[in-house]
Amino acid sequence: MENLLSVQNLTKRFGAVTANDNVDLDVRKGEIHCLFGENGAGKSTLSACLYGYYRADSGVIRFKGEIAELNSPADALRLGIGMVHQHFVLVTNFTVLENIIVGSPEVGMFLSKSAARRKVEDLCRRCGIQIDLDREIWELSVGEQQWVEILKALYFGAELLILDEPTAVLTPQQSDQLFAILDGMRRQGLSIILISHKLREVMQSDRVTILRKGRVVATVETSGTTAEAITALMVGHKVTKHVSDRSIEPGRDVLVVDRACALGEWGEDVLRDVTFSIASNEILGLAGVAGNGQKELFEVLMGVRTLSSGGFLLDGDAVAVPTSREMLDRGVGLVPDDRFREGLIPEFGTAENLVLGWQRKPEYRRGPFLDRRKLNALAERKIEEFRIVAASADLPVERLSGGNAQRVILAREFLHAGSLLLANQPTRGLDVAASEFVYEKILEKRAEGFAILLASEELDDLLRLCDRIAVIFKGRIVGIVRPEETTLLELGMMMAGDASNLDGHLNDLSSKALRQ
Amino acid sequence: MGWNVACYSAAMLCALFSTAALLHLSGGDVAKAFSSLVIGAFGSQKALLGSLAKATPLLLVGLGTVIAFRAKIWNIGQEGQVLAGAMCAYWASLWIGPLPYWMAFAVLVLAGLAGGGALGLLAGILKTRFGTSEIISTVMLNYIVIFLLAYLLDGGPWMESGVTVAYHQSPPVNTMLEWPTLFGQGSAKLHVGFLLALGATALSAVLLERTPLGYEIRAFGSNPTALRFRGTDISRLLLVVMLVSGALAGLAGAGELFGTSHRLRAETLLGIGSSGIVVAMVGGLRPSGAMLAALFFGALKSGAIYMRLQSGTPAGLVSAMEGLVLLFFLCAAVATRIQVTVRSEVHA
Ligand SMILES: Nc1ncnc2c1ncn2[C@@H]1O[C@H](COP(=O)(O)OP(=O)(O)OP(=O)(O)O)[C@@H](O)[C@H]1O
Ligand SMILES: [Mg+2]
Repeated sequence: MENLLSVQNLTKRFGAVTANDNVDLDVRKGEIHCLFGENGAGKSTLSACLYGYYRADSGVIRFKGEIAELNSPADALRLGIGMVHQHFVLVTNFTVLENIIVGSPEVGMFLSKSAARRKVEDLCRRCGIQIDLDREIWELSVGEQQWVEILKALYFGAELLILDEPTAVLTPQQSDQLFAILDGMRRQGLSIILISHKLREVMQSDRVTILRKGRVVATVETSGTTAEAITALMVGHKVTKHVSDRSIEPGRDVLVVDRACALGEWGEDVLRDVTFSIASNEILGLAGVAGNGQKELFEVLMGVRTLSSGGFLLDGDAVAVPTSREMLDRGVGLVPDDRFREGLIPEFGTAENLVLGWQRKPEYRRGPFLDRRKLNALAERKIEEFRIVAASADLPVERLSGGNAQRVILAREFLHAGSLLLANQPTRGLDVAASEFVYEKILEKRAEGFAILLASEELDDLLRLCDRIAVIFKGRIVGIVRPEETTLLELGMMMAGDASNLDGHLNDLSSKALRQ
Repeated sequence: MGWNVACYSAAMLCALFSTAALLHLSGGDVAKAFSSLVIGAFGSQKALLGSLAKATPLLLVGLGTVIAFRAKIWNIGQEGQVLAGAMCAYWASLWIGPLPYWMAFAVLVLAGLAGGGALGLLAGILKTRFGTSEIISTVMLNYIVIFLLAYLLDGGPWMESGVTVAYHQSPPVNTMLEWPTLFGQGSAKLHVGFLLALGATALSAVLLERTPLGYEIRAFGSNPTALRFRGTDISRLLLVVMLVSGALAGLAGAGELFGTSHRLRAETLLGIGSSGIVVAMVGGLRPSGAMLAALFFGALKSGAIYMRLQSGTPAGLVSAMEGLVLLFFLCAAVATRIQVTVRSEVHA
C-alpha cells in the first residue's frame, strides 16, 4: 500500500522541552493509524505540526509523495489534511448544513445551498452518518457535533483526518458509533490519525505508533499484537492493575444522601429522590450513561448547586445550606469531569493551582501575603510525586498536556481532602499507567479511611475497585449492586434504564428460590 | 524583554507621527507645537510640577481600572465615580466641625473613597442581584451623577451665586480644608494626593501579586467558574472589586477638588475618568505600567495647555493623541503576544 503521509525526523521543541524528537511516521492510504503514548509524550504536538498549527523545528513532511510546506492550518486543509478539534468550533445557532459549508472555498459569491446539500448528503451516505442537516448545532449531542466536524473536514476535501482524543467526551455508545463512521471512511480510502488512551479503541485501528517522551518507540500492526504488549511498549514495563483490598471493611457512614432532588437550568428534574450512603473505607462507584445526573449530583455534593428538596448528612451532621467553602472546609475533595472549566485557573501555574480553594489558608500565608516560597516548594514536591511534566511551576497550566493538567487537580485534591473524595471521571484523558497511578492513590485513601464516590465510564475499573456500585438513570438511582454479584451485562442493562426488567428478573429468581 | 521595549517604542513613534500628520493637515506648525508641548510639560520646575499634578488623578483612576479589568469586570463608570468622590468629599466639608487638621483631612479622604466606592458598589449590586451588565450600569450611573451635579451647581443648594450672576460652580472650599501642598505654589503646585497615588500604586501591586484577594481577582479574570467551585463567594468578590475600583476613582475626585481646583466644578473633573481608563490599558493592566502611563499622559495634558497658548493648536488634538497612543499601544500589546509563539518556533 502506498503511503499517503510520511514524516521523517520531525523535531519540535518548546524552550527546553523536546515535545517531538526525530519522529518518523507513515500513514497509509485507507488506514486508521493510532498514536499511543503517555501523557505528554507529544501526540498532540505531532498532530498540531501535521495540521500546520505549529511549525516543526526540523524534519520533512511528505503528503502524497510531495514535500508539504505547512505554515498554517489553511495550508493543511488545501492539501487535504483535516483536523477535528477536541473543543469544537461550530456556530451553535447555525444549522448542520450551514456549519459544514461556511468558509468553504466554493461558497464565494453564490452560495448554492442545494448543490452543497447534495454533496453533504452524498458524503453522509458513503460514510454511514445519519444526521438531520437542518437541525441547529445546539440541539445536537456532543457525539453528533463531532460528526459535523468530521463532515466539515470531508466536505473541504480532507483525505487525511486527524482526531485528537475524540472519544474522551463521548459515552461508550457514542464512541462505538464514531468507530462505525471511521470504519466507513476507511473503506472509502480515507486515512485517519487517531489519538486515544483507551485500549479498546486503539485495538480497532490498523496500526499503532507508540510514542514515549517525544520519540517513536515502535510502529506495529494491531492485528499482530495485544493490548498488554502495546501498553508495555508505551511505559517500558508492565502495568499492574490494582484491585480493592476486600479485607478492609467499610466503617461508619461518612456521607448520607437522603431523597435529594435538584432542578436543572430550565427547571427540569435532574436529580430525583437520590438516596445512598458512603462509609469510611468504602468506594461507591457511580455508573451511568453520561448526562443522567452524575454531574449534577457532584455539584450538589460540592455545594455549587442547590437542592430543591431532600438533603444530606456529612459525618452525621445535616448540611443545611451547603456552599463550596463549607464543603472544602469539611474535608470534601472534588475532581470535576471538566477540568479546565471547573478545576483549574488556566492562566495560573501549577504552584498557584495547587492551592486553588485554599489560598486563604494560614498555612500558605505569611501575614497577609501568600507565601510564594512555600507554594513553590509545594509545587516542586507535587510535580515530583505526581510526575507532572511541566517546564516550571509557573508555566500556565493551559500549556500542559491534558493528562498533566489532570494530575495537578489530583495532587491538589489528594493533598487537601480530609474524609470524603468526590471523583468524577478522574482518569479521563489519562494514559493507562497514569490511570493506574490514580487508582492506586484512591485505594490508598480508602485504606486511610476515606469515603469515596467514583464515577467512571470504564465499567471494568468500577467492578474491580468499588465496594458497591450505584447506577444512575434519568436522575434516579435505579439500583445499588455489589461488584462480586454483578456482571458487566447487568450493569449495562441498568444503565440503559432496564432496572424494572432486572428487578423482575431478580424477583423471578427469588420467588424460584422461595419455591424450592 | 527587548522585543517588548521595541514594540512599545514603535507604538510611541507611530502615535507621534500620526499626531504630527494630524497637526500638519490642520495647518499647524508641527515643530513649534511639539517643542511647546515638551517645554510645557518638562521645561521648568513649574512645568514638571504641573505634569505631576495632572498625573495624580489619572494614576488613581488607572489603578482602580487595573484592579477591575484584571478580574475582567468591566467597570467603565470612572467618570461618575470621580464626580461622586468629589461630591461626597465636598458634602462632608460642609458639615465638618472644628476638627484637628489631620482628622479633617482623613475625613475628606474617606469621604472621597466612600463616594466613588458607593457608586461602584451600586453597579456591583445591580450585577449580582439582577444580572445587569456592569458595562451598561456603570455608564448609566455616569449620566445620573453628571446630571445630579449639574442640578446641585445650577440652581441647586451648592451653587455659588454672585450679586448679579450665577456660576455653574460651588463657592470655594473652606481654605482650612485645602490639602497640603508638597511643592510649588499658585497655579503650579503638587498636593499631597500625589503621595497618596504613589502609595496606592505600591499597595495595588502588592494586593494583586501577593495577597489571597489579588489571587482571587486574577483567578476571577481567568476562570470564575473554577473559582466558584473552589470555595470563593464570587458575588462578594465582585462587590469588593467594584468597591475598591470605584473608591480609587473617588479619591482622585476628592484630591482634585481639595488639592487643585478648590471649587466643585464639572469641567475640571470631566475627562479624568476616561483618561484614567486609557492609562490603565496603556499600562498593560499593571500598577507599575499605569504609573508610567499616568506620568506620560499627565505631561501630555499639562504640556498641551502651554502648546495651545504658544502655537494655537486646538485642544481637541490632545484627546486625539490620547486615543492614538491607546490604539497603537493596544496593537503593541498584541504584537508582544505574537512574539511568544514566534519565539517558540524560532527557538530550535
Ligand atoms: N505551547 C507549549 N509551550 C510549552 N510546552 C508545551 C506546549 N505545548 C506542549 N508542551 C509540552 O510538550 C510536551 C508534549 O505535549 P503534548 O500536548 O503533545 O502531549 P500529549 O502526548 O498530547 O499528552 P496527553 O496525552 O496528556 O494529551 C509536554 O511536556 C507539554 O508540556
Ligand atoms: Mg494531548
